Amino acid sequence: MTTLTAPRTLPTGGRVTFPRVLRSEWIKLTSLRSTAWSLALIVVLGLGISLLMASTFGLAEAEMDGASTQQVALTVATIGFSFGQLIAAVLGALSLGGEYSTGMVRSTFAAVPRRLPVLWAKAVVLFLAVTVVGALTGFGSWAATYGILDGQGVSSPLDGPLALALLGGAAYLGLVAVFALGIAAAVRNSAGSISIALGILLVLPTIVALLSMSIDWMVDVTPYLLSSAGSAMSSIPAELPAGAEAPRGADLAPGIAAAVVAGWAALSLAIGAVVLRRRDV
Amino acid sequence: MIEAEGLTKRYGSKTAVDNIRFTVQPGKVTGFLGPNGAGKSTTMRMIVGLDRPTSGRVTVEGADYRDLRAPLHEVGVLLDAKGVHTGRTARKHLLALAATHRIPTKRVDEVIGLAGLESVASKRVGGFSLGMGQRLGIAAALLGDPGVVILDEPVNGLDPEGVRWMRLLLRRLASEGRTVLLSSHLMTEMAQTADHLIVLGRGRVLADAPVDEVITRANGSAVRVRSPHLDRLASVLASPEIAVTALGDGAAQVSGSTPERIGEAAAAAGVVLHELTPLSGSLEDAYLTLTTDEVEYRSDLEEVSR
Repeated sequence: MTTLTAPRTLPTGGRVTFPRVLRSEWIKLTSLRSTAWSLALIVVLGLGISLLMASTFGLAEAEMDGASTQQVALTVATIGFSFGQLIAAVLGALSLGGEYSTGMVRSTFAAVPRRLPVLWAKAVVLFLAVTVVGALTGFGSWAATYGILDGQGVSSPLDGPLALALLGGAAYLGLVAVFALGIAAAVRNSAGSISIALGILLVLPTIVALLSMSIDWMVDVTPYLLSSAGSAMSSIPAELPAGAEAPRGADLAPGIAAAVVAGWAALSLAIGAVVLRRRDV
Repeated sequence: MIEAEGLTKRYGSKTAVDNIRFTVQPGKVTGFLGPNGAGKSTTMRMIVGLDRPTSGRVTVEGADYRDLRAPLHEVGVLLDAKGVHTGRTARKHLLALAATHRIPTKRVDEVIGLAGLESVASKRVGGFSLGMGQRLGIAAALLGDPGVVILDEPVNGLDPEGVRWMRLLLRRLASEGRTVLLSSHLMTEMAQTADHLIVLGRGRVLADAPVDEVITRANGSAVRVRSPHLDRLASVLASPEIAVTALGDGAAQVSGSTPERIGEAAAAAGVVLHELTPLSGSLEDAYLTLTTDEVEYRSDLEEVSR
């Protein structure tokens, strides 16, 4: 048997600091196979669906419907994000929900008894990892489909507005992961938090659409939904004819949409933080 | 040192820990002994700040656990063996915990060796046996070389060799001057490992004393005597605290006295003794005596067999 220790000669610097918690959460995120699978799936699905769309769609006709070639190229490059957002939500929910379901959370909070640094660190790590993977997917899809689109005469160079929209889509995925993390902190289990997050992404828009048939002001709510704001965040706003006003329920401007999405993530994280501090684990 | 004062935990209308007070001293192995539901685990979770006391306070080295700046260097804790993410390897689990305190990788490998986990360190924890899970829990608890070690049911699932290893480890930790608190419902294990016992039942402290004292106090002390003159011996010993029960075959059981006093009294009165045997009870008897009324989930079967 190995000797236990030298008699208690500890580095006095061994305190808990935020950068150290960040490092710990990075190790946790990257040491699970489910993380690798999820992130790979975002890339593969994103590229695959973009390629499929580029090669099978009557894109030249879409352009005639008034969309610019740039918008066509953007739509093709970001089409996979509608699936990517679901994977990002699952990943975010699992990063804390998985700790509750396995009991790991007790080890985590015994090491960091203030708890909140863990939540913030998880948010940072998730946002960075998912956003980077989202950017790879977005730019990768643009590059992969460029040749096919060029053949149909609807390719677009990677100029400022297009790059910004792709980055917006990537950041949206990152924020969705953070949003789901906050829910996991509030409901403290994997299945429940995944259900709630996917419900807000997928089911809530349908409910609002149905309600807006009978309740007039619901139309104005639509652009502020997480998923609507998310798609607005990764769009290139169309130029409106001079003097014309945007129709009710139209997409928000990308900057405002980004703020709305960040607001959803911040709200969910805040609720999660309150529960995290108060509840026994 | 761990100190609890008026510590209480209620879950709704159920009181898990009821206004308890105790001190766990360094340099000794202290055992939390009690039936399931006695409040052992709840108390341990409150010590490390995972559960918040309903009232009262518990401190580690004089501070609330939640206020510790470097908790892993102060307190090592093994709660349940499966407090680990099953999808991660043992080594990554330890590395992630170590990172929060910037504990070097060298120390991670050290505790892996200490716990005898070298061969499985790069395997995912999901496939671990309960015994390996316990060893990983111990490795995690010792990561920060803490002065206080808290282990909930550490021998659960260990094979005999593992139990022996655990016992030696705990003894050594205590001999290094650390505060060692472990819980168990296994009385024989406690008798061999612990120096001091805190017996819990239904959230209350039933006994808080050195192991020997707990046994003696709970059993009373009984002595078996054999003598051709039992009647005379009985009258010599007669006193309100002493009971003499004839066992037949010229033997009797005397309770409420000690072999020394019985022998001296017999010699003074000239009574011949053929046997004078102290009947020391086991910790198990003591435990059962103490907790008879405190077991929360007693089965009907047990009632019948009594």
